[in-house]
Amino acid sequence: MRHTLASGETRQVFEGIGAVGTAAFYVLSIVTVAAFLIGSWRRTQKYRRGRPAGRGGTIRRALLVSPLALRRRPDTGSVAQVATNATIGRRNRGVGIAHFMVFWGFITLFIGTVILTIDFDIVRHVSKWFWGHEDSFFTGTFYLGYSVVLDTMGVATVLGLTYLALRRGVRPPARLDYSRAEQPAGGYSRKALVLGDWMFIGLFAGILITGFLGEAVRIVANKFPEFEIWSPAGWLLARGFEAVGLSAGAAATTHTVVWWSHAFLALGFVIYIPYSKAMHMLVDGVNLLAHDKNATRALPAPPADADHIGYRELADFTWKELLDFDACTKCGRCHEVCPARTGGAPLSPRDLILDLRQWADLQTGGKTLLDREQRPDATGPLQNGQAAVAGTVIPAKTLWSCTTCMACVEACPVGIEHVPTIVQMRRSLVDAGTMDPTLQQALQNLASQGNSFGKSARMRARWTKGLETPIKDARKEPVKYLWFVGDYASFDERLQDNSRLLATLLTKAGVDFGILYEGERNAGNDVRRVGEEGLFEMLAEQNIKSLEAAQFEEIFTTDPHSLNTLRNEYPALGATYKVWHYTELLVHLVESGALPVKPLNLRVTYHDPCYLSRYNGVIEAPRTLLAALGCELVEMPRNKTNSFCCGAGGGRIWMDDSVLSERPSENRIKEAAALEDVGHFVVSCPKDMTMYSDAAKTTGHDGTLTVLDIVRLVDQALVRPPAEPATDDVAVPV
Amino acid sequence: MRIAVILKAVPDLVEEMELTSDGTDLDREYLKFVTNEWDEQALEEALLLKDSDGAEVVAVGMADDPDIEQALYSAVAKGADRAVTIAGATGVDTRSRAAAVAAWLKDNPADLVLSGVQAPDDLDGQLPAALGAALGLPHVSVVVSVALDGAAAIVRQEFSGGRAADLNVTLPAVLGIQVARQAPRYAPVTRVRQVMQSTTIDEASVAVDEAAAGIRVRRMYPPEKTTHAEMIDGSPAEVAARIVELLRSRSLVKG
Ligand code: SF4
Ligand code: SF4
Repeated sequence: MRHTLASGETRQVFEGIGAVGTAAFYVLSIVTVAAFLIGSWRRTQKYRRGRPAGRGGTIRRALLVSPLALRRRPDTGSVAQVATNATIGRRNRGVGIAHFMVFWGFITLFIGTVILTIDFDIVRHVSKWFWGHEDSFFTGTFYLGYSVVLDTMGVATVLGLTYLALRRGVRPPARLDYSRAEQPAGGYSRKALVLGDWMFIGLFAGILITGFLGEAVRIVANKFPEFEIWSPAGWLLARGFEAVGLSAGAAATTHTVVWWSHAFLALGFVIYIPYSKAMHMLVDGVNLLAHDKNATRALPAPPADADHIGYRELADFTWKELLDFDACTKCGRCHEVCPARTGGAPLSPRDLILDLRQWADLQTGGKTLLDREQRPDATGPLQNGQAAVAGTVIPAKTLWSCTTCMACVEACPVGIEHVPTIVQMRRSLVDAGTMDPTLQQALQNLASQGNSFGKSARMRARWTKGLETPIKDARKEPVKYLWFVGDYASFDERLQDNSRLLATLLTKAGVDFGILYEGERNAGNDVRRVGEEGLFEMLAEQNIKSLEAAQFEEIFTTDPHSLNTLRNEYPALGATYKVWHYTELLVHLVESGALPVKPLNLRVTYHDPCYLSRYNGVIEAPRTLLAALGCELVEMPRNKTNSFCCGAGGGRIWMDDSVLSERPSENRIKEAAALEDVGHFVVSCPKDMTMYSDAAKTTGHDGTLTVLDIVRLVDQALVRPPAEPATDDVAVPV
Repeated sequence: MRIAVILKAVPDLVEEMELTSDGTDLDREYLKFVTNEWDEQALEEALLLKDSDGAEVVAVGMADDPDIEQALYSAVAKGADRAVTIAGATGVDTRSRAAAVAAWLKDNPADLVLSGVQAPDDLDGQLPAALGAALGLPHVSVVVSVALDGAAAIVRQEFSGGRAADLNVTLPAVLGIQVARQAPRYAPVTRVRQVMQSTTIDEASVAVDEAAAGIRVRRMYPPEKTTHAEMIDGSPAEVAARIVELLRSRSLVKG
């Protein structure tokens, strides 16, 4: 099948391959495309089995959002976010750039191949039918431009790939260690996962290397046509071959071998894609466009038509969740940041996703080459058939380990949403009654008295006794702000002082506020995350009833957990309010002069509560407040949205944590203790106050690090009339 | 096999209790009521028997007990097959309750009648005994496990000092349960709510003769406040020494 060479600069497409070879190539290509399509179709079929995920709007928004929005809202899914690999480069610049080069290199090389196919297999034939001679645009300037672009991008790909391979091969970061957090009794092996990674890199590298080699030997065989200098990489390589004595004749023979190697590798890779780790190339862009962080902030209600509670079987999962499983690239970022995993709990968000992927593939007859865990027994993800996913495929202790801190969702570069999936599975554990006795007790207390302390609901406002100015009852008289106090700030005796102090300061600043007294219940944020949906609904209904009966304009909370559910979840139940955190209110009072302050001149560090920073983006208010109080803020390495969980969230505060090798709170205190000359660990969440006071003691740092609520600093900085002493002194450690 | 579990609503002890002005009863108006915790154990034991041997479990409450519906719905959510309230008891004391339950059981016989061994307001555990007497059935209290064996049950009765005996009891029988073999299961609120939609509590009423009431309350007293707490100061070694001394002096440890 020799074709007439068009005039001008170009190269022959099947140079030296011969008619039989060319025909064989076409047959192989058709087989390849078929295998690729079958693989991809099977995957798509799997997603189509999933329940609706309600992500139509998310995808539409992501497709329409302007690329400029990426700078302002790097968190929002968009085409620009996918195209720039922004999520990969975040907190990991080197990898981001390398992946960007590989990403665009691959796309360019792919487009290059498509252009060639269009010219050679379509334009050439179509022109012949119409006007009798073969036309081609793959010549002259176009060819030269094409050559230089593809060569450059090819080099970029090689560079990016080399960086990634070296990083993985020479000194891999801990997060690329595939050891499981939860150890199956019968043992396991993840060698195939590692092999899968190298297979992926190897195939890719092989294609690039044979591509450049082929180009070079072709140039040598053709005796260096001058215009081929436009393929600079190939040209240089060819010069090298020439220098070591490769003759034109030998080059022509070598070319055939290299050409076929390139062809086999390329076709093999195409087949490999839908059956391996490489499928992330197809899946992850879509997964990012469909990713919605709000699905973690406001958990999905259980499907109305389900005949059982919580996730039990494959049919329960939404298509987004099934896509999540396939999207995971095992990058380990979630594994690294997870406080449960860090503390030695049997949970790693990465393992969770990988297990679910393997299990889902097994259920659907999905074929995955390599990239799967082996076990001597059919346990965990290797279980087929009727095994309940929650409690059997994924052990209950794994699911109960999650603090719902959202660090995994935040860290994942491909938009995987671990938390809602974990909660869905917890729902079925709760339904079966599989839980810690202490958790069960807390839930029973919440059901009977509306608080987890098991105290009488009528005692909720007892902490207000002894206040000089009584707090208004918002159910009886109108107020501007309704203070939603929360369980800990109301019932925990160690925290009531802080609550009274805040009340005093607000009164002093002339804020018109009130509380719901016995009308308040636990807001239900953590109850919902435990998976006790019915109890959450009950608590929310009781609160909404009280809220509706009260007169106020806006809400503020002491508790970031309550803030999250009031702000993000109550609207779906028909209660939409503007909800502030008390630090936002305090910063306003200090800045407006309602609370006059003098500088404290303290060096402090500040802990961002997960539910405040990561969940709700309240990051600047406490920082501005600290600055206004004349405190020098020394950030811990993990700060703002990258904050590290105290370990109390998601109902963990009601469960036994003696199995942990190190409590997350202790890990965090050590991080703070390592900061130079910082004597104060400032918190803005009542639960943090208890968690970190304990952790400072157990780690022996209580002598040098004072844990205190930000409200204490405000009080300390307050300028008051000479006669009036400060409410409480801030201890300055020696 | 039919198992009746007798449930009682008692004041939640986390509440502050107050007496009525005439001092003969608790002021029940603002009190929150919960299921007697020993009755929860009895229910769990019944459900365990249902799980292992198959049985019909009927949860029984008194119609006049506050919030008793909640306890009964919750029992059904956990796995009880039916729930019944009985009206007609003449007083709040245990003997009159026993008489009412016995009257109902005469018409609705059960192979096993389980109740908690005691209740916060029946600390000497009269109900199972009175019930056994009223029905003329064998009765065992302080039971910590039950196994069915044909027409009999093998029950483990616990004595002080960790000793126990396995007794063979001919059915039907009345058992006062101290603790179930497993911690009482959780009733998810969603299930309880579903049960409230789908289940109707049967209402029975019985005629109990006035004489059944054994006692009349003349006066109730709030517990005296005790202030015997002793704060121990000193080094850990001194504190430990003082604790050991106290334990010895009160004969709480040997030697
Ligand atoms: S939410 Fe937090 S604790 Fe739970 S899996 Fe993710 S990182 Fe781990
Ligand atoms: S879930 Fe996301 S962050 Fe975790 S390993 Fe997979 S791709 Fe990486």
